[in-house]
Amino acid sequence: MNPRRTWPAALAALALGAAVPGLARAQPSPLVARLAVENGRVLASVDLSAAFGPSLERELGNGLTNVVAVYVAVLPERGRTPALVHGRVFEILYDVWEETYAVTLKDPHVPQGVRTVVRDFATLRTLLADERSLDLGPSSLLPKEPFVVEARVELNPLSKEQLQRTREFIANPAAGTRATGGSRSVLGAVASFLLREPEPGSGVHLFRSRPFGPGELLAPR
Amino acid sequence: MSGGGERTPRAARLPGFLRVSGFEARIALALVVATTLPLVGALFLAGRLAEENLALGLDPRVLDRLSDVPALYGDLFQARKGLYAEQARALAMGLPRDRALARRYLDGAIARTPRLRRIAWLGPDGGTIAEAAARGPNPEGEFREAPARVDLPGGGRLECAFAIEARFFAELDETRELAELIQGVHALRAEIRRSYVRAFGALLVAMALAAAVIGVLLARRTTRRVGALVGAVRRLAAGDLTVQVDPGGSADEVAGLTRAFNAMVREVRESRDRIVYLEKISGWQEVARRLAHEIKNPLTPMKLAFQQLEARWGRPGPEPRDPEFTRLLAEAGEIVRDEIGTLQRLVEEFSGFAKLPEVRPEPADLGDFVEEFLRTSPDVGERADVEVVKAAAETPVALDRGLMRRVLANLCANAIDASRPERARIHLGVARTRDRAVLTVADEGPGIERALRERIFDPYFTTKDTGTGLGLAIVKKIVLQHGGEIQAGERPGGGASFSLALPVRGPGSTGSS
Repeated sequence: MNPRRTWPAALAALALGAAVPGLARAQPSPLVARLAVENGRVLASVDLSAAFGPSLERELGNGLTNVVAVYVAVLPERGRTPALVHGRVFEILYDVWEETYAVTLKDPHVPQGVRTVVRDFATLRTLLADERSLDLGPSSLLPKEPFVVEARVELNPLSKEQLQRTREFIANPAAGTRATGGSRSVLGAVASFLLREPEPGSGVHLFRSRPFGPGELLAPR
Repeated sequence: MSGGGERTPRAARLPGFLRVSGFEARIALALVVATTLPLVGALFLAGRLAEENLALGLDPRVLDRLSDVPALYGDLFQARKGLYAEQARALAMGLPRDRALARRYLDGAIARTPRLRRIAWLGPDGGTIAEAAARGPNPEGEFREAPARVDLPGGGRLECAFAIEARFFAELDETRELAELIQGVHALRAEIRRSYVRAFGALLVAMALAAAVIGVLLARRTTRRVGALVGAVRRLAAGDLTVQVDPGGSADEVAGLTRAFNAMVREVRESRDRIVYLEKISGWQEVARRLAHEIKNPLTPMKLAFQQLEARWGRPGPEPRDPEFTRLLAEAGEIVRDEIGTLQRLVEEFSGFAKLPEVRPEPADLGDFVEEFLRTSPDVGERADVEVVKAAAETPVALDRGLMRRVLANLCANAIDASRPERARIHLGVARTRDRAVLTVADEGPGIERALRERIFDPYFTTKDTGTGLGLAIVKKIVLQHGGEIQAGERPGGGASFSLALPVRGPGSTGSS
């Protein structure tokens, strides 16, 4: 992934909006979630370790940039419209020389990302799975009726940057990954213009918590 | 076709360059169909081709192997790190007991250990006992330092810095970038195939539109001319025989059709003029015949009666004659005889005009005929200087020699009369066009006013004091009966000019009026 890419808040909101409706399409796994209200904001802590099994060590340590997108939303128990949402993206690059994981966490509050270096997979897994104090938004937006917390984890979703790079590639395949290349292909240029985002593929994990009552929110610890 | 210029009501509201006639639309449609049909087949093949190319270029094994490359570099780095650790341990084991020799040992270690760039012996307190560094550039180019540290048994440690080629990291980055790109393309494989099909379809539509536009533009060059022809035909049907259409500079069928149309209209117009003129002449001939009859009949009794009157008066009698009356009678007799003579000549001319014989053409050469006429008409040569110019070697025509002699005689007489009192100079020219033999009779007289050039062929129209106005009418009738035409014009340099155009006789034809 290109570490210089930006993360406009609007793009994040769009990603969330696109992602959350997808929650309804598959049978979700149980989600252990804890909600708290602090300074009028709803903070969620969820355990997503089921999405990050030990088998992921090989994939996340393959020396290529891997992306993990996590979306957490509060929805009415019998509704599909999220009342509160939060999304964040982890870009993980295993450095085969240093033998460490460089993790860049991006969310709408920090679109440029915060970089962390993790020395082993266990620590990385904890970082990814144990999502704590996610700021879902103002507590006033919480549903009055029972609600649930849903989470969606996507492993290596196709990013806008990747889509753009693919467009560049098919528009100018001779150039490949080089900065300068040969002449552009007319058919490829038109095809790149008409290239659309694919449907979300596999590598998507859905989670759904038990229903919460309006009075069940924990006080801040 | 309802006409190249036919427009639908909606099309009529469009600007001119956007109006498309049915003909243009059909040609454009034909071009679009001709362009599209093969391309639709190609569209199907494009999808297959894109799929096969993607399958070929995006073999999952390629992606797998590419994805494995960073791990291979990881293995390489591990091996190097192990090697460097082993070399550091070996160097540690060889450290001299005498610290005075340490510097020399470390220099030797730098010299004999490949890729060792820096080495330092640190005491238990962390202080440097001795150190050495490689001088000069790394033989393998740019490098990144790989540290190796060995704790020494007696305390202290040996710190080494080995070189690892920087190109490995550049290659790793490039491979990773490529693998990620291929990964993205692979993820989008189905969508890429669809986008190629969509792109091909879009280009297909663009090409079909371009073909349609080109078709309309190409068709327009023809349909506009066909439309002009349709309009001309309508004017012709409405009775306008002056209509002509510009054939343009093309040499195609439409231009040929236009030229044929123009020729046809000219033929129709000339035929109509000929028929009208001949009908008019026929009418005048009937009038002339009746006039001649009505005038001729009383002339003889009038003449006889006056002769009887003169004879009776001239017979001797008992009474003396009145000399005055005798003189008056003699003068009156002279006048009556002159006028009766004039009337008799007039009657003869009317009769001659009324009894023009039918044309009986026979093959002849116009040039030879002109020479023969001059040879057998000495009076012409006596009264005028005649010049003959033959611009064509052969001018085969079909003509009635007797009537055509009359034509030439009339025209020469007119030329002689027009030149009076000077001696006339007559220019006879014989030429030939593709299908006409042309005889020109020109003089150097005062010429004919432009406004009178059509009327002078009307019977009884004359500009001369003593003329009957029948000569040129007879000339024109004879020429028309030969299938020809005659025009009065102006001779370059001054004088009148008459041009007779007769149809050239084809092989085997005898000619007819």
